[in-house]
Amino acid sequence: MPQPMGFFTDTTVCIGCKACEVACKEWNQLPARNGGVGILSGDSYDNTRQLDGIHWRHVKFIEQFSADRQDGRWLMMSDVCKHCAHAGCLEVCPTGAIIRTEFDTVVIQSDTCNGCRDCIGACPFGVIGVNPVSGTPQKCTLCYDRMKVGLEPACAKACPTKSINFGPIADLKEMARGRVGQLREAGENRAYLYGADETMLGGLNSFYLLVDKPEVYGLPPDPRLPSRNLEPSALWSTLGAVVLSIMGVFHFRERGSGPGRPEGVDV
Amino acid sequence: MLPAKDQNLAARKQPDPPGVTGAQLEWGWAWPANRRILYNRASADVQGRPWSERKKWVWWDGAKWTGRDVPDFAPTKAPGSKGDPRAIGLDALSGSEPFIMKPDGVGWLYVPNGLLDGPLPAHYEPVESPVTNPLYHQQSSPVLKHWRLDGNVLAPPGDPRFPYIVTTYRLTEHYLSGAMSRWNPWLTELQPEFFVEISPELAAEKGLGNTDWIRISTPRGSVRGKALVTRRVRPFTIAGRVVHHVGMPFHWGYQGLVVGDAANELTAFVGDPNVSIHEAKAFVCNLEKA
Repeated sequence: MPQPMGFFTDTTVCIGCKACEVACKEWNQLPARNGGVGILSGDSYDNTRQLDGIHWRHVKFIEQFSADRQDGRWLMMSDVCKHCAHAGCLEVCPTGAIIRTEFDTVVIQSDTCNGCRDCIGACPFGVIGVNPVSGTPQKCTLCYDRMKVGLEPACAKACPTKSINFGPIADLKEMARGRVGQLREAGENRAYLYGADETMLGGLNSFYLLVDKPEVYGLPPDPRLPSRNLEPSALWSTLGAVVLSIMGVFHFRERGSGPGRPEGVDV
Repeated sequence: MLPAKDQNLAARKQPDPPGVTGAQLEWGWAWPANRRILYNRASADVQGRPWSERKKWVWWDGAKWTGRDVPDFAPTKAPGSKGDPRAIGLDALSGSEPFIMKPDGVGWLYVPNGLLDGPLPAHYEPVESPVTNPLYHQQSSPVLKHWRLDGNVLAPPGDPRFPYIVTTYRLTEHYLSGAMSRWNPWLTELQPEFFVEISPELAAEKGLGNTDWIRISTPRGSVRGKALVTRRVRPFTIAGRVVHHVGMPFHWGYQGLVVGDAANELTAFVGDPNVSIHEAKAFVCNLEKA
């Protein structure tokens, strides 16, 4: 049985080269948006702006400078599907097209997907989008096809600074904790891991080393599953049904005990 | 660098342990012998003893050269050995001459031959500059190459018509002029349009917003691009005066999936005297809303 595999993305060594974005697109044969013809976003060096059906890796650029520039940094972060241990997309998929693989990753099988798009809204990270070629929602597969033959995913292979690390989750966690310790020792007290422990959706199989609040990187501080609504909505539905039945009973009682229909009115 | 299959020494990422002063020999690879400091024999005195305990790199241990770095010297040539003046190559140098790629084996404070600018280092302003040279009357290099062609006009020092410093550079997304990479949709979607980076201070002065069209001009030409307003660009303070800085990538042209004006419309045909590298990193421009 293969081990759970995933990514550890150390954002402190990302240089924003976007090699991961291009390597991902090349391996997975994802088209460019609008044939590659676009408009300058004006948002630092980020012109693709999001993860979606044709952008399975996305590098964010965050410029943090005080007005006098005494304090300044340019944060970069390569974002990807988190392959959550408790995955929202997998919960809501009505056809079973979204599966958990033997590597503990989450994969959408396009051939059994009916394109209902429920998974798009269910993902707390906004990772999934429709691929215009297939017409169905798609996202990172953690290069399932490459893993099957013992290769690392294309993005990790292309990353020149080892910001993207691929391997067994247990090894990655050890590496990540070591790196946080090293950074803290060097005085970077803001370093911490996002999604490395089980409190976040049972653990993210793609977790991150960040040096600012999750919101700064466009990540939810407390991502939640669609199933969190099941119990309260079941309760409210039951309660609603009970209230309606009681109202119905009273209504019919009232009709039976009243003066009856007025003469000459045909209902 | 690749001593065996699956062994790539350039991929090594093992730093020296904390507190150990070393040459980081386990980090990557330095061609040809993984030596990190050229002429490191010079870190030891004539007898082969380190000049300084704190900055010692290689030394003579009685039989051979050894130390923290890979010695850049014949490994067993003793410090006291004499060179043979009739020999060729390294055999002509003695054990106390560390600059082994120089014909006489010693370091040079100035360049007696080979270079057109010399013999001593000096400061000259770029051929176009917002200031006059604060050190000498000679403004820029007297031996630089300037091709006297129609349209290859230079702005004089401190020209008020061209008050800003301009720099050109490349992006990781595009290759050189972009002639190849501007045809690849995976690359063009990452950097789709020519832009000019300016500071918020200059943007405020000119009434410009982010992604507004602007026109940048030099005595030689003008280009149109979109403003990318960012605090990464810093205005300089030179002699008590604020001089704004403008930066632009040089990857656009008139053909490709994405097209845009070429930064090289602005640069001058001037070159350094030795290898004719043109001066595209520091010149002057004007900037207006387009």
